[in-house]
Amino acid sequence: MQGFWLDASEWQAVCLSLRVATVAVLCSLPPATLLAWWLARKDFPGKSAVETVLNLPLVLPPVVTGYLLLVLFGTQGWLGRVLDQWLGVRIVFTWRGAAVASAVIAFPLMVRAIRVALAGMDARLEQAALTLGAHPIRVFFTVTLPLARHGLIAGAILGFARSIGEFGATIMIAGSIPGQTRTMPLYIFTAIESPDGIARAQRMVIVSILIAAGALIVGEILERRARRQRAMR
Amino acid sequence: MRDARLEFRCCYEYRSGFRLDAEFTLEGGICALFGPSGSGKSTCLSLIVGLLKPQAGAIRMGDTVLVDCAGGHCIPSHRRRIGMVFQDHLLFPHRSVAANLRYGMARSGEGTIRFDEVVDVLELGDLLDRYPAQLSGGQQRRVALGRALLTQPRLLLMDEPLNGLEEALRDRILEHLQRVHEHWQMPMLLVSHDQVAVRRLAEHVVVLERGSVVDQGPVNQTLDRATLQTLSTHPGPTNLLRIEQVHQVGDHSAGRIGDQPFYLRGRVPSSTVYVRCAPSDVALVLEDVPVISMRNHLRGSVCDIVCVSSESAGEVVYVAIDVGQVLWAQVTPSACREMGLQKGTRVVCLIKASAMDLVT
Repeated sequence: MQGFWLDASEWQAVCLSLRVATVAVLCSLPPATLLAWWLARKDFPGKSAVETVLNLPLVLPPVVTGYLLLVLFGTQGWLGRVLDQWLGVRIVFTWRGAAVASAVIAFPLMVRAIRVALAGMDARLEQAALTLGAHPIRVFFTVTLPLARHGLIAGAILGFARSIGEFGATIMIAGSIPGQTRTMPLYIFTAIESPDGIARAQRMVIVSILIAAGALIVGEILERRARRQRAMR
Repeated sequence: MRDARLEFRCCYEYRSGFRLDAEFTLEGGICALFGPSGSGKSTCLSLIVGLLKPQAGAIRMGDTVLVDCAGGHCIPSHRRRIGMVFQDHLLFPHRSVAANLRYGMARSGEGTIRFDEVVDVLELGDLLDRYPAQLSGGQQRRVALGRALLTQPRLLLMDEPLNGLEEALRDRILEHLQRVHEHWQMPMLLVSHDQVAVRRLAEHVVVLERGSVVDQGPVNQTLDRATLQTLSTHPGPTNLLRIEQVHQVGDHSAGRIGDQPFYLRGRVPSSTVYVRCAPSDVALVLEDVPVISMRNHLRGSVCDIVCVSSESAGEVVYVAIDVGQVLWAQVTPSACREMGLQKGTRVVCLIKASAMDLVT
């Protein structure tokens, strides 16, 4: 594919980045929501331990996270071996690896955004729904999710933007294979290293800025619409 | 109504150290838990509806064991079929009134309590398309009541049903509650720290204090006893008199307390009313005065004398007179001595019509 002022390899990188980020967000949004709910609503022994582990990717150097993922998902790693033998799915050095890296790095950010929204809503509405005979699962979908929707939107946007920018963990677990795992940040880095790459890098920088700004704008529009709906009521 | 019998015997201790340890049995009809705030009333409701799990004890309703700690048995809230009207309503802000009302119907379906009937009885027809934020406090309370009713509950719990409403609204809500009770024979348990609400609605009352049951029984006698008990710690008793058979006589109204006549100024909205008057507005005489500007003369005998000293008023004596209901009068210690008041003394109570507040 070729168009605008991007050449085929550049388009590949853009599409790959978008795909990786989308898959990473879609796959981590449900567990992030559940975990956020659990942390916002329940008190249990070892809660701070769970929170610490959850937030580790936020404070660890991404390269270290990437290394740990490589150990875990490598063909000799215990999770990687299971996936390879049972499902025939390889993670390392494929685009899936890039998605896993993005998802893990973005996960704590998403949980945090959703948790803030959950803490901001009146948890007693959930209790009221229970007394009306609604099963807890129904309560979650009909009361909790709609009222914490802005948190989910914020979490998804934040996670998406962070995924687009993922570099350190991605290069560790997925490498930088052109057309397969070379996402936009990796592309920019590679281009800068090559003698004639400045122009390529610059084009890619512009695309990155556009995508990031676009994500923010979409998020803003969605959130404003949600707010307007509530104000009307 | 065997099915509505509620046996409650629970211990629940909060981390703050507050401990509820209460046992009572309710036989249906309209019952109330009465007590000052912080006495554990709302905790009882949460335990019955299943939002809290007792640390010890059991709750039984009819033949169903709702929770039994010894047997390790606990029905989760959403399967208890007990309706709850929260003090702050907790309507779903993202759903219209109609959708709020229908929320609990998904599980119970249409039963003996039908949607149209609820809308009719609670006068919700004009509100169905609105959202909770657009409703007044009284309207929200009616929607919350309707929403709870439409789950076809076996018992309806209400936390402070009249709290935070203006006087005029309280009357309407009371009317609606009474209508709901008559229309569907719905057993109700309400929680209140407000004597007026309890006396007007409930038949049976359980008095709670600091987490334990201190008294229970038929409403009027029990609350009179409760008033007696809290006398020494409170700023003083308030009189709440129930006047029956009220009718219009010229420019005023006449009714009865027991078999004694009682006069009220102006028009009165219904045939049974409650009036409030301060004990300091009740004068005592030993023998009836035939002609006097005060028209209300209630004969009775002294049933209790409590001496209270406070910093502001010095020493005052509260005299309880049984005039068919208990009426409190405030006198000075010297007046009490000179009149020779003691338990059993026959007295006549004089009350100025202008000192009385009609309770609506």
